[in-house]
This record gives sequence, structure tokens and C-alpha cells, in this order.
Amino acid sequence: MEIVVSGLAAGGLFALVAQGFVLTFLTTNTLNFALGEFMVVAAFLALAISSWGWLPSAGKIVFVIAVVGVLGAWTYRLIVLPFSSGHNDTRWLLSTVGLSFIIINMTTNGEGVLRQPLNYGGMDEVVEFLGVRLPSQQGLIAVTAVLVTIALVMVTRMTGLGTRMRAVSEDAEAASLMGISSKRIGMIAYGLAMSVVALAGVLWAAEVGVSPQLGEPLLVGAFAAGIIGGLTSLWGPLLGGGIYGLVTAAVGESAGVMWGEVSGLLIVLAVLMFRPEGLLGRRVDVKL
Amino acid sequence: MNTRFLGATKILARWSDVSPQRRDGLFVIALALVCFLALTPGLSGEGTSIPHMQLIGLMAAMVVAAVGLNLVSGFAGLISLGQGAMYAVGAYVFGYLSLKGELPTLLAVPITLIVCAVVGVVVALGTARLRGPQFTMITLVLAVLVHKVLVEWPELGAASGYPNTLQHQTGLLPEATVLGFSFVPPLFGGEFASVLVLVLVLTVVALVLYRNLSLSSWGRSLRAVGESDMLASHLGVHVFQRKVAALGITSALGGLGGIFYALLFAHLQPESFDVFFSITILLAVILGGSGTVIGPAVGAVIVVWLERSEVLDGVTELQRQYLSDQWYLSTPGIIGLILIAALFILPRGVVGTISDFAAKRTRRNLTQLTAPPLPTEPLSPSSFLAVNVDEAETRTLLEVAGATKHFGGLLAVNRVDLRVGPGSIHGVIGPNGAGKSSLANLVSGAYRPDSGSILLDGVDIAGRRPDQIARKGLARTFQTPQLFSSATALENVKAGFADTGQLSWWRAALKPRAQYRREVELERMATALLRRVGLLDEAYVLAGSLAYGKARALEIARALASQPKVLILDEPAAGLNSTEVMELGRLLTDLRADGLGMILVEHHMDLISTVADEVTCLAQGTVIAHGTASDVLSDESVMAVYLGAADSPPAESLTEGSQG
Repeated sequence: MEIVVSGLAAGGLFALVAQGFVLTFLTTNTLNFALGEFMVVAAFLALAISSWGWLPSAGKIVFVIAVVGVLGAWTYRLIVLPFSSGHNDTRWLLSTVGLSFIIINMTTNGEGVLRQPLNYGGMDEVVEFLGVRLPSQQGLIAVTAVLVTIALVMVTRMTGLGTRMRAVSEDAEAASLMGISSKRIGMIAYGLAMSVVALAGVLWAAEVGVSPQLGEPLLVGAFAAGIIGGLTSLWGPLLGGGIYGLVTAAVGESAGVMWGEVSGLLIVLAVLMFRPEGLLGRRVDVKL
Repeated sequence: MNTRFLGATKILARWSDVSPQRRDGLFVIALALVCFLALTPGLSGEGTSIPHMQLIGLMAAMVVAAVGLNLVSGFAGLISLGQGAMYAVGAYVFGYLSLKGELPTLLAVPITLIVCAVVGVVVALGTARLRGPQFTMITLVLAVLVHKVLVEWPELGAASGYPNTLQHQTGLLPEATVLGFSFVPPLFGGEFASVLVLVLVLTVVALVLYRNLSLSSWGRSLRAVGESDMLASHLGVHVFQRKVAALGITSALGGLGGIFYALLFAHLQPESFDVFFSITILLAVILGGSGTVIGPAVGAVIVVWLERSEVLDGVTELQRQYLSDQWYLSTPGIIGLILIAALFILPRGVVGTISDFAAKRTRRNLTQLTAPPLPTEPLSPSSFLAVNVDEAETRTLLEVAGATKHFGGLLAVNRVDLRVGPGSIHGVIGPNGAGKSSLANLVSGAYRPDSGSILLDGVDIAGRRPDQIARKGLARTFQTPQLFSSATALENVKAGFADTGQLSWWRAALKPRAQYRREVELERMATALLRRVGLLDEAYVLAGSLAYGKARALEIARALASQPKVLILDEPAAGLNSTEVMELGRLLTDLRADGLGMILVEHHMDLISTVADEVTCLAQGTVIAHGTASDVLSDESVMAVYLGAADSPPAESLTEGSQG
């Protein structure tokens, strides 16, 4: 039982970060490989403004989310859009990878590798859930993942913006003929995605401390959660994160951490080979 | 301006005069020269030359890994982030076989290469059906997986590296020995690092084989796959097999790089083989020129030099001095910046940009000079068609009976019958959405029919793959010409030959004398085909710069290269002016006289009525009329589907003689 709860809690973190992948892939067919590094930027920004006494903690978090969201939107405009001109064009993979190197290198040089504590945004207590003791911050992150997913699904289903995002995701060309700028929608999608990721970054940094390596170990798990669930489904990350978290925790418990991570990755490989669109993703057949 | 480049054009003209054998020979000599020059500073054996020797060795390793990656990522368009993992597998397997397995070097190297190739093949078997970004994601997952295993698996030393003194009683791998001679790695001052001779010899061999592969029909097939799987399939390439073979070779070359690393450093640390390393190999390919032949080699040299020399440290120092002491980019960050900059500024890489630049300046002049000796003796026209004109006219080349295709709920093709005999043109007309292209796709194998039979010269081809159907004697052109826009017209035609699908990789790589003769023959036949369609003057023009009409003619020439019995033309007259349409008509009637059977899907009614022997009209997937051109074009139901029914009110006011 302990394995189940801790696995699901870890999966919650992966799910929250994975939304960053799904939101952008759904609307623009691209991903931001520098996702983990945006978490780092958010964490360091949160650290930098922690001395702003006039702003309550919640306000600081909102500020960080907003700033990183804007950065995300401009990343799309400057780093992703020029390199995603067709469905065969995958250069955006390389440009976002380059961006991740730049960010991680700069933060390592600028702030050093030591972890620095973040004194807000986190809860220090330990809760009991179904008889298992769990750091409440992890539980908070998992709950946040669920709430954010629900919010995103509601936005895409019920608002005008959501309809436009879905239109662009179905057929960007037709949408542009209807007057929907896929460039703007892409920027909004990236902004939203990086905001979610920033939230994850702040919450996680409150638990483990701020350092340039904050995002990197999560990237694989978030990636796995996104792929298993399906990069075209907003519910995907929850399912994918849950599965990945459970499997790695269960196997890790019995056979060692390394085999735990390996088995999680093997599941990703299996999904990519046998159901490449993910468990909840929608299948797209190419018409000649 | 002419005189400035006359020298360059003379050199280019002289170069194309040089026979392929000479060119290949010169390439080997040039490589040998470069290697010799690279080795000379280290011959003295001084301690100061150790870093230099290590640099040369690392460059060789990266060169091999990068050109290998280019096959799959540059030519075939499958971006792999896992070449670093293959490099690591090569290094560790070789190390293990040398140390634990105590195998002699002569055995350990080939076995390692085979293991790496097998890994590549296994990966390909699972992923060859995937589209671009998913393939890349799998390779990324693999790179992470391999790195994790290497860092944590105790058998391979884990974080202490392989070998380490605790587990293996030694920190160094045994020296490579061939026939009693020991090759010394660049680790000890005062000794010449003889292992570099071994490394460089193997590098030269690998580069020669790689270059042969790239310039051969096999290489052309990879480029076709990179353009589009469907196009490659129609050119006779078994796409799945080709991808698997390519990934196997790529992995073996990546593993060879790893073997070099193990030979050089005699000790392996897992941190050296992380995802960042995979990215730098890809950067080498892109920076040098993805899809060019020697670009990745040049890129590899540049990238290793950047990483290893103090140049980047100097840049870091400059930033700390002038910009900020705290926020600056060091080597990994600068590499990331170079990656992004290369994508912006040098999308074709260093070598690609230079050759584009040179091509633009000299291309015009080159065509003004006497064209390089193209064979001038006229080939007998029917020698490149598979049809014997003297045979009885009752033979049917293509027989479609009851072909049906559904797309979900939509009935695209509804029990269509069609017959094509030798030396005839069968026109297929119908309004948009009538199912004409779907029918063409059914016959060429792009779609599988739900029911019905399709016989090509008596052989059942229904449901077969396009490459199987192409081999049986069917070729086609597409609605939008699918050509290699950055290759010459001649190269494009050569892609149409059966060699593209059927030349095996080892024949292509080893290039026996028979291959040279075959290449000459292909050149001859391609030239004849270009003359046939009237493009002889454009033989060396890049296909991407051809006018629409000429691009279509080029596609026809390529289709004819496979010596088909039946040719399907999908709206060849679209976008042509009236003169070009007339030329097209003349070409089609010429081909008909040679015995070729053709299906002409068209909207252009003048062309249809001029050249078509019989016409079938489709509407909503069903045949609504069939007969001679004049019969069908004056058929009332045909006019109705195109123009609307004659008795409905809005149309009534448009018909002549309306009494309203």
C-alpha cells in the first residue's frame, strides 16, 4: 500500500509537468525539450523575489507563473515557430534542446549546484493517507495536478479560447482560414504550458530546494507520463503519471532503483511501439 | 564576373571528366594525406603530444559516428538522439570482450560491430513504422536507458568506470594487439601512440565504404525515404527493410566510434556517454551539413575541436570579463547556442552552404560550357520499355475488376472495372472527389482494395505493397511532382531505376568493378530518358528550380526508368500552358507507339479527347460512362455531373435556347 501511495504521489508530479508537454503538442505538434529548465527558472525567480515582503506568498507564486508564462510564449515565437514549418520539420527538437543546454549552463554558472531552500510555497507537515505517511507537499502536488487538469479540460471545452485551441489542433490551416492565428494560439498554448510547469517548479522546489538540477531528473518521468497517457489527451498525463509512478515504485522496491527506472522506460518503449498515440490519445491516420 | 569563376568552372568541368574510379582513388589518397599530416606532430612521442593525439583520435571517433548518423538522420530523415548510446555500447562491449572475454583485437572489433548492428536492427524493427517525432522520442528514451544502465550496473563498474582497480584489478583495458604487434594508446609520454595508426586506418576504410554507400543507388533510396515513405515505396524500395538495414549500419558505425574511444583511453566512465553526448553527435551532422556526403565529417572535426580546445574557454573568459562575472555561458551552454545559431544561419551546414554557394555561381556557367560528355548514340526507344510491340494486341496489360475501397463510411471507389491494353491510353475523368486518384492509388498499391481484383499482365497485384507492384512493371506520377528538389534532373531520373530498390548495401559499399560499369550504364540510360522527354539541356539543373511543365516531364522520365509495362499519370496537365500540354500530348502518343499502356487521370478535356483511346468517367466512386473520348464527353450523365442536371431550375436559365 505504501508503494501504491508513494508511487501515485510521484506520478502526480510527473503528471503536472507532463501537462506542459501535452498542451503544446496538442495545439502546435511541438514540444519544449527545455521544460525542466523552465522549472529551474521559475524556482530561481521565486527565490529571487522571496524577499519582497509586500507581496504575500500566493502573490509571489502568481507573479512567477505569469513571468515564466510570458517567457514560454516568446520561446514559441522565437525558438520553436521558425523551426516547425511543416509536419516533416523536426528542427524544433534541436532548438529547444539547445535552449535547455543554455539555461542549465547559465544557472549552474550563476548560482552554483548547491541547493538553496525556498521558504514559501510549501507545507512541511506529513499527512497520513490510507494508512501511509506521506509528505504533504507531495500530496499537494498530486492534488494540484488533478485540479489543473480539470481546469484545463474545462477551459478547452467551455471557453472561446478553448474552442480556438482545439480548432488549431485539429487543422491549423483551416483554422487560419477562419481568422484564427495559429501563431497567437501557439504562443498562448506555450504560455499556459510553461505557467503550469512553473507552478510545478515552485511547488517542487519548496520541497527539495532550488538548484539547476531541479528539472532534469523529472524530465524523463514527465516525458514518460505524457507518452503513456497520450500527448493528444489532456487526461493522458494523469493516467500516464499514475502508471509510470506505480511501476517505477513497485519494481524499484523489489529489484532496486535502477531496475525501477528501467522498467518504467520499457513501458514507454512498449507504448511507443504498440500504441504510439498513447493510451488515451486519438489516432491520426495520414491521408494521401 | 564570368572571368572570376572561369577558373572554378574549369576545375569543375575537369573534375566531371575524371572517371569515377579516379575520383574514388583520389578521395582515398586525400584521406590518407590528411591522416598522415594529423599524425606527424605526435611522431616524436613527446609528452606534450598526448592531448594532440587524443584529440585526433576523438575526432576520428566522432567522424565515424557522425557519418553513420547522417545515413539515417541526414538522408532518410529519421532524427536519432541515440547515436551516443550506440557509441557507448560499442565502447563497453569492446572493452568487455577485450578484458573479461580476453578476445584478440581482430575478433573483438568485428564482434562488437555485429552486436551494435543487431541492437540497431532490433530498435528499427520496433520503430520503423513510426513517424518522425515518435521515432526521435524512442531514440531519446534509449539514450537515457543506456546511460542509466551504464551508471548503475555493477558488472560494468558503475560509477567507478570500466575497468576499475577494485573489481578488475586494473584500471586500464589491455592494449590492442594485431598479429603480435601491440598498439600503444596515447597515455604515456615518450611513446608514439601507435594505436592511432590503427584508428585512422579503420577510419579511412569506414569513410570509403560510407561514401560508396552514399553515392550509390542504395544511398539514393535512403534519400527517397527521407523525402517520403510513399514515394520511396513507389520507386521500388521496401521501405521497412531499408530503414532496418540503414539503422543497423548507422549503429555499427556509432559502435566503431566507441571502439576507437576505448582504444584511445583504455578506460570508460559512464558520464562521458550521456544524452548531451548524443546531441553533440547530431550537432556535428547538422553543423557540417545534414544530408551532404562529407559534411558530417567536417562537422565532427569542428565540434570535437570546439569542445576540446581552449577556444570555448576563451569565449567564457571574455564573457566573464566584459559581461558578467556571475551569469555567463561555458562550454555546454555555448554548444547549445551554436546549435540554435546553426539552425538559423547555416540550415544546410558548413559544407552544404558552401556547395550551394558554389553551385549557384558556377551552375549557369557550367551549362554554358559544352556539357560533360553525355552519351549520344540513340537508344532504341522500346529498349527501355518492358513491352514487346510485336505481341498480339489482344493481350491485356492491366485489368481492374470490381475494385472497391471504403474510407470509414465513405465509399470512395465502387466496383470499378478498367482495362488497359498494350500501346493504348485509357483516360479517367470525373469531377473532384469522384475517386480518380483513389483508383490510381488502389492500382499503384498506395491503398489496399477492400474487394475486387487487379491483374497486371496476368499477375494479381491487389493489396500488394507499392514496391512489389513497381517491380512487376507499374509506374506512376503524382498530382504534385514528388522530386528531390536539391538534386539534379539526372540524379532524379536515376532514382527511378530498379537498382534503387534492389541494390544490396554490401555491393554498394564495396563497389566491385561491375558496379562501376553499372553506374556508367545508368548514366547512359538516364541521359537517354531525359532526351526522350525533352530535358537533355536541363540534365544538371536542380529539380527544385525547374518550371512546372519540365518538373512533370522529369517525373515521367523517372517513371519510365523502371521499364514499366503500365504507366499511371495523375493529372499531368495541371498547371501547364497550352504549348506544354501539346508537348505532353506528343510525348504520350510517342510512348503509346512504343507499346506502353497508360492510365491518364485528367481534368483537361482537350488533352483527353486528343490522346485517349478510351475513356472512363467516374462520379462518386462509380463508373457512369465508358467508351471512346467523343462518346463519353458528349454523354448526358457525364455532362450532368460536371455541370449540373439540365432540368434543374438554376441550370435551366444557363442552357441555350431557354424559353424563360
